[in-house]
Parts: sequence; structure tokens; C-alpha cells
Amino acid sequence: MAEVSAANDDDYGPAAVVIEFKNVGKIYKSLLGNSVKAVEEFSLTVVDGETLGIAGPNGAGKTTLIAMMLGYLRPTAGTVEINGLPARQYVERNGIGYLSELIAINPKWRAESALVRYATLAGIPYSEIPSRVNYVVDLLGLAEHRDKKVKALSKGNLQRLGLAQALLRDEQILVLDEPTHGLDPVWTQRFRDIVEELRRPDRTILIASHNLDELQRLADRVAIIDRGRLQRLVSTGYEHAAPAATRFRVTLASGYDLMRTVFPGAEDAGRGEYDVTVQSIQELNTALADLIGRGALVASVMPQRSVLEQQFREAVGESQ
Amino acid sequence: MSRWSLARYSLWQARDFALDRGIAILLIGFLWGYAFISPLRSQMAYQITNRASPVWIFTLQISSAIVSLAVLLAVNGIVSTDRKTGYYKFLFSKPVNPILYYTQLFFVYMAGVVACMLVLSRILQTILPTFSIVNYLLYTALIYVAMGGIGFFLSVATRYDWLSLAAVWLGARVLRTTFGDGNDWRSKAVQLLPPVHKLDEVANSLIGTGTANGNDVLWLLGYGTLFFVLGLVILRKGSLAD
Repeated sequence: MAEVSAANDDDYGPAAVVIEFKNVGKIYKSLLGNSVKAVEEFSLTVVDGETLGIAGPNGAGKTTLIAMMLGYLRPTAGTVEINGLPARQYVERNGIGYLSELIAINPKWRAESALVRYATLAGIPYSEIPSRVNYVVDLLGLAEHRDKKVKALSKGNLQRLGLAQALLRDEQILVLDEPTHGLDPVWTQRFRDIVEELRRPDRTILIASHNLDELQRLADRVAIIDRGRLQRLVSTGYEHAAPAATRFRVTLASGYDLMRTVFPGAEDAGRGEYDVTVQSIQELNTALADLIGRGALVASVMPQRSVLEQQFREAVGESQ
Repeated sequence: MSRWSLARYSLWQARDFALDRGIAILLIGFLWGYAFISPLRSQMAYQITNRASPVWIFTLQISSAIVSLAVLLAVNGIVSTDRKTGYYKFLFSKPVNPILYYTQLFFVYMAGVVACMLVLSRILQTILPTFSIVNYLLYTALIYVAMGGIGFFLSVATRYDWLSLAAVWLGARVLRTTFGDGNDWRSKAVQLLPPVHKLDEVANSLIGTGTANGNDVLWLLGYGTLFFVLGLVILRKGSLAD
């Protein structure tokens, strides 16, 4: 269970800045002269070794931000830099492991040949392509689908193929847009394990997702955006204490009578379950230690609503 | 990315051309040529080697039209398909320069069109022994640059490049025929349109004799090259995403 708190962008100052959005704005203009502000005055830095989540409702500007980061779209204001270079220039020199929200691979290609093509473009030496393709095929369980045409793949398998092409090369930067979209629960968990394995001090990972639980598990910080603006930057690390009151459901195996002594405001939800409200993660831990010290057996402690979700609701609610 | 990696990818681009466009060009070219030239050949066999005969003139017209159609099929969607379908997302998240990628693609497709015309002209030569394959391939290369350059530009600038190219090509012909001979502003303005009026003359002389008016050739090459480069500039300065 990760604790979440509002984070400051300056908290991540000492590590090397990898991605930097500086007052970025993007306005889409139609031929008829109508304009839509997709992103507005967006500033954010992402550092080496960090996994940053991007959360926001539909149309918040997540995909536009990612497109500008890959240099597919030019900002109408501000700049996006990666390792000090303009974003597109960086991508053309180094490449980025990218999984887009909608997987767009030519449906006539076969899964394996698609990977070989992308590996060739990624600059993987010719002799290493077969082993690298085999590695991602095994990693993502695509062995039985490697000879199938892309159009014959199910949504989940297509998503895995998309992830496989993003992992072909040992990239410093990974950008995953709705990575578990269409995956079954087994592969959703497998994906989370893969992301955990991919984390390392010199790699930066960006994950855009609607799934706040996923971001809470995987990300160090989560940028909550709405209406094209950064609404909140939330840290998900254990070391950050929650500033706001938070509700947890505590399940006891024994010592039910001790619960109200330690948590005077606890509400009995039946079958040994109690809902408690605490002001911080420290308060929760202190009280649980007291409870266990008095002889109670705690079976589980679950947040009733993830604090990230709470922050998200507040941030998105405030902006509307 | 090393240039060598992109060069290696040209084999995939050539494969895509062969399967997606080359077979269609060969089939259409063969059926069209067969449908028009074969009946004439059987009825006017005695004139088959006479360059002044209707058979020869008709063959020149058909074979030059097949080249135009082949170029149209080749450059159709050369850039816009990747943008419309979103294929560019994975292609250009790799260390690839889109300018180099599409320049290479343009020339791989040019080689593909020339190869298709080589096959078709070889077949044609079996019934018209005086038909020069070399002259025909030179004409193909010229028209690919002239017409393909404009097609490439339209594919970068618009979503409906096939329609746009056909409209530009036919529109230029109609406007030049209507206003081309006057001295007013309209006749000056139509001079800026693609030099499609030079095509017939160039086709007749280049396919027929292997020679052509240098100015006409330069006009066609220059016009196509200019628009090809303009397309690359827009690709560089604009956005890959729609």
C-alpha cells in the first residue's frame, strides 16, 4: 500500500533532468478558424530513474503531451526537451520505447516480421535481431502468435505486440500510453511485473493511464492533468506522508474488542472489518502497532479509496 | 541510427511495393496494354514496324498512359497513409529521420515502377520489336520524378493525395488548353501549373526516338524536383501527426 501526497516538482531537483516541458502550450486550429486549447502553460521535469504517471480524464491532453514529447506535434508555445535536445532531435538520434494508446501496425504484416522491421529501424545489428525478437516474443508470450498476421491478433495480443516493439531495444526512455488497455487480468499483472523489472536508475518511464490503481503501484509521481493544465503533482512514495485524512478498512482475525480502544472512531462493517479514518500514514502505523501490541491479530489493511484517487477527484473537480 | 540500418530497411520497403503496388501495376498495365494493342496488332500486322503507322502512334499513347497510371498508383498515399493510419507512431519512435525515410521510400518506389515498366516493355517488345526498352525506362524515370514529385508533395500536404494529384494533373491540362495561348493574366498564371502539356511531345520523342527537347525535360524534372523538396520541407517543419 503506497502513501500518496502532493509533491513538488523541485523535490526531484538533484537527479539529472531527462525530460523537460517548459511552459508548453498546444492549440489546435481548424480550417474554419476555430481553435481548441489542448495543452496550456504546462511545465514539468522528469528525472533519471523516475517512473512518472500521467493521469487525467478523457480529453485532458495526455496524448497531446506525449505526441509533443515524441516530436510528432509541435507545441504552439514553449519547448519540450529531452536530455537538453529538442524532443524530435533526441528521438531521431536515440529513439524512445513507445507504446501508443491505439496500436497502429500494418494489419498485413505478420507479428514476427513486424518486430524484425522495427528492430531494423531501431538500429539493432542484423546478427542480433533474431535473439532480440525472440526475447520480446517470450517476454510477452507471443510465441504461438508470431506467424499470425497482425489483423488476426486479438486486442490483448495486439497490445502485447505493441509493448514488444517498444521493448526491442534497451531504451533510456519508455513512454507507455494506456499500456494495459485490452489486457486480461493475468497479463495486466504480468505487465506490472515487467515494468517493475524495467525500472533502473538510468531509465525514465512515463505511463499515461486512466487506471489510478495501476499508477499508484507503478509510478513514483503522478501528474494529474485536466483541460490541458497540470492540476497536481502527486508523489506515491512511502516516504511521503499523506496530508489529508484517509480512510482504511482494517480486518481483524481476533481482538475485536480492542478496536475501539485504539481507534475510537472506528465503524464496524461486520465480519471483523472496521473502517477507520487517520490523518497520516504514521498515525495509522502507530495505532496498528498499539493494536497488535495489545494482542489483536490484524488480517489486512486496505485503503478504502486510494489517496491518488482522492487527489484526482479533488484536482479534476477543482478545475471544472 | 546508422544510415546502414535505414538502407537495410529499404528491402522491406521494396517488398511492400512489390506486394501492395507492383502486382497491381503489372496486372493493370498488362491488361490495358493487351486490350488496346493486341487487336490493332492482329488487324494491322503489316504496319507493325512502321513508326508512322497508327499502331505505333497508338502504342506510344497507351504506353505513356500506363506510365502515368503506374506513377499515380505508386505515390498514392506514400506519406499520407502512415499519417492517416497512425503507422508513423511506431516507425518514428525509433531513431529514424522521417526526411531520410521518405526520401528513401520515394526512390525505392521509383525503382519499383521502373522494374514494372521493364517487365511490361519486355512483353511489348515481343509484339513490337522496334519498341525500345531503354527509351521507355528513361521516360518512366522522367515521369516518375515529374509526376511523382508533385504526388509526394500532395501526400505530405493533404489526406486525399490520389484525388488531389488526379485533379491537379487533369486540371492543369484543361486550364492550359483553355487559357494557355493568350496574353492576359490567366495565361500567365497557368504557366505556373504542372507542365503536363509537354508530356505528349516528350513521350513521342523520348519513347519513339530516345531524344527529347532539353527545355521540356528540364521543365518536367525541375517541376517535380521542386515539389518533392517542398514536400520534404513541409514534413520537416510541420507535424508528423495530423
